[in-house]
Amino acid sequence: MSPFEVKDCALLIRMSGLLPAMNLRELRDRIAVCGENVLYHHFCETTLRPTFDDPDYRNDFAVWSKLYLRDRVLAERLGILDPYVPGGMEEVRAATLDVIDDRLGELTMVPWVRHGDEFLFKEATTVVFDTGERVRNPKELAPAIQRMTNGSVYYHFLDALRRPPVGKDDFSVWLLDAGEEFAPYLASLGTIDTQFHGLAHLRKELVRTMTQAGEWK
Amino acid sequence: MEMSASLAAYEAIVGSSVVRQLRNLGEKLSGVRVVHVNSTREGGGVAEILEWMIPLMRDLGLDASWEVIHGSPRFFEITKEIHNGLQGKSVDLQKKDWRYYQDENEKNAERLRPLLEEADFVIIHDPQPAGLLKLCPNRKGKWIWRAHIDISRPFRPVWKVLRTFVDKYDASIFSMAEFAQPLPNSQFLIPPSIDPLSEKNRDLDPADLESARAEYGIDPNRPTVVQISRFDRFKDPIGVIQACRLVRKVAPVQLVLAGGGATDDPEGKAVLEDVIEAAEGSPDIHVLLLPPDAHKTINALQRLADIVLQKSTREGFGLTVTEGLWKGKPVIGGDVGGIRIQVTNYQTGFLVSTPEGAAHRIRYLLHHRERMKEMGKAGREFVRENFLLTRNLRDYLILMLAIRSGREDRIIYM
Repeated sequence: MSPFEVKDCALLIRMSGLLPAMNLRELRDRIAVCGENVLYHHFCETTLRPTFDDPDYRNDFAVWSKLYLRDRVLAERLGILDPYVPGGMEEVRAATLDVIDDRLGELTMVPWVRHGDEFLFKEATTVVFDTGERVRNPKELAPAIQRMTNGSVYYHFLDALRRPPVGKDDFSVWLLDAGEEFAPYLASLGTIDTQFHGLAHLRKELVRTMTQAGEWK
Repeated sequence: MEMSASLAAYEAIVGSSVVRQLRNLGEKLSGVRVVHVNSTREGGGVAEILEWMIPLMRDLGLDASWEVIHGSPRFFEITKEIHNGLQGKSVDLQKKDWRYYQDENEKNAERLRPLLEEADFVIIHDPQPAGLLKLCPNRKGKWIWRAHIDISRPFRPVWKVLRTFVDKYDASIFSMAEFAQPLPNSQFLIPPSIDPLSEKNRDLDPADLESARAEYGIDPNRPTVVQISRFDRFKDPIGVIQACRLVRKVAPVQLVLAGGGATDDPEGKAVLEDVIEAAEGSPDIHVLLLPPDAHKTINALQRLADIVLQKSTREGFGLTVTEGLWKGKPVIGGDVGGIRIQVTNYQTGFLVSTPEGAAHRIRYLLHHRERMKEMGKAGREFVRENFLLTRNLRDYLILMLAIRSGREDRIIYM
């Protein structure tokens, strides 16, 4: 099998150019027309930017609904949306709009926020670069992950889900070629729920589960 | 002025993977000529940033330099008015003032033009040197305007004119999305950072802490709450005193309110007088007017605190919050500005909107000492990951790489 090439990445965040949303209807209308990268940023890239590791929800729309619209029902419904569905960001957009439209239908007035609490639409460029590091044996993968930056963990374990083969992280794809002997490693990766991990914690979890898998096999 | 350390000095704090990442990025920009331009070599947040950024960029192989524009006292009076106007104050700037602003920029352009026109990147900090772009018509590199202040709600007549100076830049940088103004160029977001090796943030010997404790009469046997900030109404020092008075009914808390630079500012002086009056008759409230260079004292006071407060009603990014978190303290902060990014309820501290809310959270923490420790630990790690100068430096490097690539794709492979 060819060596695993350790990449690293960093996020460059910028304003999307969309007008801020002052209320739920404006949020809905902006989500309906925004670029996929805007959606991707607010759903998936939240772990890689300066934000606290352990908020209630991983996507910005749910967090905004809870903190500023003060609508916990909407926050819960948005918070559970899976941004890594096979249909990609268009499917995520449709699901998000569906949740918001349902909520708008239930409410007697459109919830709004005070000035200063608007939803600001952003997007990001992910700059990816080769670290030069190579992992040649699957047994070396866990120690290599231990040494990785948050950017590497994000790129190989989360961002990979959106790249072909869609829905697969880079570690799993590489381990597929490693043979039956390493099937427990592969299985262990599938047990990690990425929803509740910050990147530093995710790295620890990856190392822990893979080390454990190595001991059991 | 402190001399900044090399990148290797930060490795023990941020880890070797972070330093390795910076070196990887630096290799891709090796030899790139970067010129930063601001309006002062000493004093103020921008000079503090450039003081560490230039040597670290050089350490990574970039050909980085720092130029300071010169100006008459009248020029700096005008730019102070521009600064105030951008932050929303109604100011009276006439056409002749703007002409003078541009004339002074022209004098600086005469001196700096060869360097600036040849540079690969020119980063202009704040409004004072913003006029230089128009005066360097043969520029070869990319020009970036870095706004360090909140210009989200400016006095419109000032912004309308300044906009004509900054809208031709290739890109702009703001500290937070909430501080930005719409511009025709790309507006990147780079939060500020602290230097963990600076006098204000480095580890201190226990003897230094004891010395500060003795000097300011802080009782080691009672809980201490500290707010470090200018004496400014938006920092709500009176609200902090009210909060501590409410806590005093049930816990023997002592308060340190420390800040500097009030004497030459009429508004600040009035606030300080009000604070002293509000604290009268309470020996447990220590109001300290510190000199501008009292970095070590501030460091010691933050480390002596059980809880750090930043009960602002309006705030920029709030680097005093970052400093408090870095020292492993839970922070109770106003629910405004950049404090919202840094303080998460029950994780790194609490967001509050009233003196009563602050009092409630102080009492909660004093009764949950273990949670206080956990929050302090989480806060320090949060700052290590997100708000140390290494992250800030990385953001500048990837910004330059992305701009140089000329692409705005979701992923750029280097």
